[in-house]
Amino acid sequence: MTPLLQVEGLTKRFKERTVVNGISFSVAEGSCAALLGPNGAGKTTTISMLAGLLQPTKGSIQLLHGGRPVQDHRPYIGYLPQMPVFYPWMSGKEFLSYTGELAGLTTREAALKTGEWLEAVGLGNEGKRKIGGYSGGMKQRLGLAQALIHRPKLLILDEPVSALDPAGRKDVLSLLRRIRRETTVLFSTHVLHDAEEICDEILMIKAGEIALQGSLEHIRKEYSEPVIRLEVGGEKASGEWLASVGSKAFVLQAEIAGTRAELTVADVEQASQDLMKDAVAHHVFFRKFESGQSTLEDLFMKVVQA
Amino acid sequence: MRQFGLFFRKEMLEMGRSYKWLWVPLVFLMLGVMQPIVTRFMPEILKSAGNMPKGMTITMEPPSGAEVMAQTLGQYNSVGLLILVLSLMTMISGERQSGVSQMIFSKPVSFVSYTAAKWMSMFSLITVSFVLGYAGAWYYTVQMIGSVDTGAALTAGGFYLLWMWFGGSLTLLASSLLNPAAGIAFVSLGMALMLTMASGWFPRYLAWSPGSLPQIYVNGLLEGQGMTEAAGALIISMLCILACFAAATYRVKLVKSKI
Repeated sequence: MTPLLQVEGLTKRFKERTVVNGISFSVAEGSCAALLGPNGAGKTTTISMLAGLLQPTKGSIQLLHGGRPVQDHRPYIGYLPQMPVFYPWMSGKEFLSYTGELAGLTTREAALKTGEWLEAVGLGNEGKRKIGGYSGGMKQRLGLAQALIHRPKLLILDEPVSALDPAGRKDVLSLLRRIRRETTVLFSTHVLHDAEEICDEILMIKAGEIALQGSLEHIRKEYSEPVIRLEVGGEKASGEWLASVGSKAFVLQAEIAGTRAELTVADVEQASQDLMKDAVAHHVFFRKFESGQSTLEDLFMKVVQA
Repeated sequence: MRQFGLFFRKEMLEMGRSYKWLWVPLVFLMLGVMQPIVTRFMPEILKSAGNMPKGMTITMEPPSGAEVMAQTLGQYNSVGLLILVLSLMTMISGERQSGVSQMIFSKPVSFVSYTAAKWMSMFSLITVSFVLGYAGAWYYTVQMIGSVDTGAALTAGGFYLLWMWFGGSLTLLASSLLNPAAGIAFVSLGMALMLTMASGWFPRYLAWSPGSLPQIYVNGLLEGQGMTEAAGALIISMLCILACFAAATYRVKLVKSKI
C-alpha cells in the first residue's frame, strides 16, 4: 500500500509545555486510521498541525500525491474541527457553496456539489434554513459536507462523534463508512467502539507520545488476552465467593466491582471449569458467565494507566 | 482575485444581514444633520430651557457656514470614530474566536485576499456612511446657516475620509492582534486619540503624521490655508494604512485559529 501521509518526529511545544513529543507515523492510501488517546493526550494539537492550522515546533508532515510530496497540502485535505462553528447568519446551502468556491470549485460546480452533499448528509430539506437554528448533529453533518465538497484525498476529523447523541452518532458513523470507500480518513476519538467499528489502523497516543500503533487486526492478535466476565446474584454467599475469586491461582488479574468481576486468566477452558466447580460448592447463583477476549477498551485502559 | 471577490461578497452580506449597512450610515447622517440644525435654533433652545436668570440676554455671533461644517467634522471625530470602532472591532478577532476561521483556513485560501476583503469592506462602509452624513450636513448648513466654499469643503471632507480610513485600519490591525473586543476598542481609540493629541503638542515634529489630518481639514475649511503639510500627511497616512494591512495579513497567517 502506498503511503499518503507521512509524519516524522512531529513536536509541538507551547512555551515550556511539550504537548506533542516527536510522534512519527504514516497513513496508507485508502485506509482509515484512528488517533486514540485520553483527554489531553495531544490529539487535537496533532490534528491541528496536520490540518495546517498550527505550525509544528519540530518535525515534518508530508502529503504524497502521485508518490511525490506536495508543497501546499490544503487542496488535498478536508478538515472538520472538534466543534464546527459556522456563520449563524448564513444558510446551510450558502455556507456550503461558499466553502466549495473557496476550495477552488467554479460557481456552477459548487452549486451542483452543494445540492449533492446536502442530500448525502441528510440536510436536503434544511439547506435554506439559517445555520443559527441548526442542532448539534446537523452542524456536524454540515461540517462533514464542507470538508468533503472539494473531494479531498485525505479527510481529517477531530472527534467527529463525541458530542452527538446516539442517533446522530449512528448517522455520522454510517456516513463515514460510506466515505471511507473513496477517501482516506484519519480521525481522533476517545470512543473506542467507534474506532473498532470503522477503522483498520490504530494510533494510541498518551501524553504526546505514541504508546501503540498498528493495524487493528494485528493489535487484536498481539494484545488481546483471555478474559472471563462474571456476574453473580446479590445474596451474601455469592458476594463472599466473588470477593475471594481474585486470589485463585489461575487468575492473573482481577477487577471486582459489586456483583461483577472481570478476570484475566491464562487458560479460559481450565479456568471456567474450576470456577464452575468452585461456585457449585459454594452455592453461588450466576447471573452471567462469559468467556472471551479482552477488548480494545481494556487495552486502552491498560495503556493509559501504565 | 476570485477569492477576494468571494470574501468581499461574504463581508458585504454579513454587514447587510447584521444591519450594519443600515445603522452606521443612519447614525452618521444624524450626526451630520444635527450640527447645523442645533446651531441654527440655539437661541430658541436656550430661551425655552427656562432656567436662565431673569433679564439675562445672550447675544451670539451667528457662525459662518464653514465654522458649522468644521464643528460637524468635530462630531465625527469623537462620536463617529467611536461608532466605527465599535462596528468594526470584531471583524477579524470574531472569526478567530468563534472557530469558524479553522474551517476557512484549512481550505486553500489566500491570506492577502482574506485581509484585503476585510479592508475593502471597511473602506466601503466608512465611505458610504461618511459621504452620506457629510452631504446631509452640507445641505442643511447651506439651507440654514449660509454658503460654504465648495473647494474647501471637498478637500476637508477628503482629508477627513482619509483619517477615518486610518482609524478603521487601526481597528482592524488591533482586531488581528488581540482577542477581547474591549481591548481592541481601547487600543484603536487610544491610538487615534494619542496621535491627534501628539500632533497638537508637537506640531513641528508630527506635521506629517496621520494624527494631524483632523487639524489640516479644520485649517483648510476655516482659513483656506495650512495645506503645505497636507501632501506629506496624505502620503504618510496612506503608507500607515498599507503598513496596518501588511501587519494584519502577517498576523492572520501566523495565528490562524485560537488553538
